[in-house]
Amino acid sequence: MDNSKRRFLKGCGGVIAGMSVYTVTQPPQANTAEQVSELKYAMVHDENLCIGCNACEDACRKVNNVPDGVTRVNIERSGPFGEYPNQSYRFSRHSCQHCEAAPCVKVCPTGAAYIDEETGIVAVNEDRCVGCQYCIAACPYQIRFINPETRVADKCDFCQQTQLSEGLLPACVLACPTNALVFGNLKDPASALVKTLKSKPTYRDKVDLGTRPKLFHVRTIDGEIVL
Amino acid sequence: MSAFHFDGLVWHWPIAIYLFLAGLSAGAVFFAIMLKHFKLADKAYLSPFVQAAAVIAPIAVCAGLGILVIDLTKPLAFWKILVFYNTSSVMSMGVLVLLVYQVMLFAWLGSVFSTPIQQWLKQRLPLLSKLLAQLARHEDVITGVLVILSLSLGAYTGFLLSALIGFPLLNNPVLPLLFLISGLSSGAAATLLGGVLMRGNPNGVEVRFIHRIEIPMILVEIALLFTFFAGLILSGGQSQVAAMKAIGEGFWGWIFWAGVVGVGLTLPLAFNLWMKVSSDRKFAYVAVTASFSLIGVLLLRNFILYTGQMTAV
Ligand code: SF4
Ligand code: SF4
Ligand code: SF4
Repeated sequence: MDNSKRRFLKGCGGVIAGMSVYTVTQPPQANTAEQVSELKYAMVHDENLCIGCNACEDACRKVNNVPDGVTRVNIERSGPFGEYPNQSYRFSRHSCQHCEAAPCVKVCPTGAAYIDEETGIVAVNEDRCVGCQYCIAACPYQIRFINPETRVADKCDFCQQTQLSEGLLPACVLACPTNALVFGNLKDPASALVKTLKSKPTYRDKVDLGTRPKLFHVRTIDGEIVL
Repeated sequence: MSAFHFDGLVWHWPIAIYLFLAGLSAGAVFFAIMLKHFKLADKAYLSPFVQAAAVIAPIAVCAGLGILVIDLTKPLAFWKILVFYNTSSVMSMGVLVLLVYQVMLFAWLGSVFSTPIQQWLKQRLPLLSKLLAQLARHEDVITGVLVILSLSLGAYTGFLLSALIGFPLLNNPVLPLLFLISGLSSGAAATLLGGVLMRGNPNGVEVRFIHRIEIPMILVEIALLFTFFAGLILSGGQSQVAAMKAIGEGFWGWIFWAGVVGVGLTLPLAFNLWMKVSSDRKFAYVAVTASFSLIGVLLLRNFILYTGQMTAV
């Protein structure tokens, strides 16, 4: 009995030792996407310039073959604020925030949800996705969906597969009639993106979750103050 | 907004069943090991309760995995989960635990039931019989590892949900503990129910042993549930909204108070206490108490899964 107890404990000890080695060898979470690259894409949506025309969503749908019933980008309308005839609406872009510490990437069991180290874009490797939907549940911005045609997780990837690969700006940016969308390289101080970020106060959604999103918004100054 | 369909709902009831079955398997194994270690020793394989656990545990875990695979949008690609791993993903690590757990489970079953299996094997497959003898010699190590794996599996069912940072009710440090304990008690209930159905003595040493653990376990479960919701309410903000929406109103409020708290915890506790003082256990008593516990745990899994996804930060 004594001998068997000792071996029982040995077995337990082995497992615990194995687990502690595993924890030590795991790369620290903060290092994700912190690789040295000259490129880090981000986007600003200026809510003061946006007129809610939905041209961005339509362009995205066409360029990225997004089926009806789902969408990669959505302009959320709130309001109206104020009295007729001085009524106004507010528009806020709802799409992937390309989080630096992306919860979707963290939970994906197969590594299908990944951060492209070259560009900082959060994307989906369609071949690896099994459709467990863990990423969809984990994304605090609730913008991921299962593409009904490919049966895999889908979302905005800044047109990584389409426009960017041809050296063009994302479809939504090109389609916007008021230049409310600015896309560019965060690491380039001369880019229109950085200039916008430095000249206008911006906010990001749910930063307290530690996701470090790269979609910036310029807040609407129109209309009434809402608590 | 209906109880089973609402905006933001990603995971449906198959996931709740999967979590239920995985926890149940882990609990049944845990109690079978405890029965053998503390009460039955070498005669364990003769006990209908250990036999019941030996049937239930592998079936439950395989059925759970089957449901998980069918629920994928690409079920035929499920092998990719087994080939590609992501150390930061709870699901990926859970699959790893599940695989090792299944291997160790069968190894343990082989060594516990080695006497009857050997009788059958000896004449027919001498090579396999030698292998089994080797295995049986390491039973203590296998048992130790399997205890840890079963506890990990039970806790994993909670960590899987508590990793979802966008939902305050799920992203809760008490959840893995709550799921671990309720998983263990569902395993105990399944073992008891299976055991008496297989003509085990409802007043036998096994039933008394499990019942003695069950009373404190139900009390711990009640304390954990209380901490869970008190913690959410005291956190304020969306956590409070999530808690009130879950237990304060509507369909899921009923499920919680009548199903989880009433049928799942209070009645089994009362029956257990009654059986303890009367020290007379009959088939119907044991079976009904165990069924109530099982129903309660199944409802708890569904309740947490659905109400958890109702309120985002
Ligand atoms: S917004 Fe959602 S999908 Fe996009 S990177 Fe962040 S967590 Fe992932
Ligand atoms: S649905 Fe696909 S991308 Fe999302 S977590 Fe599962 S495997 Fe990864
Ligand atoms: S295209 Fe531009 S103006 Fe139109 S909805 Fe999109 S961001 Fe707003």
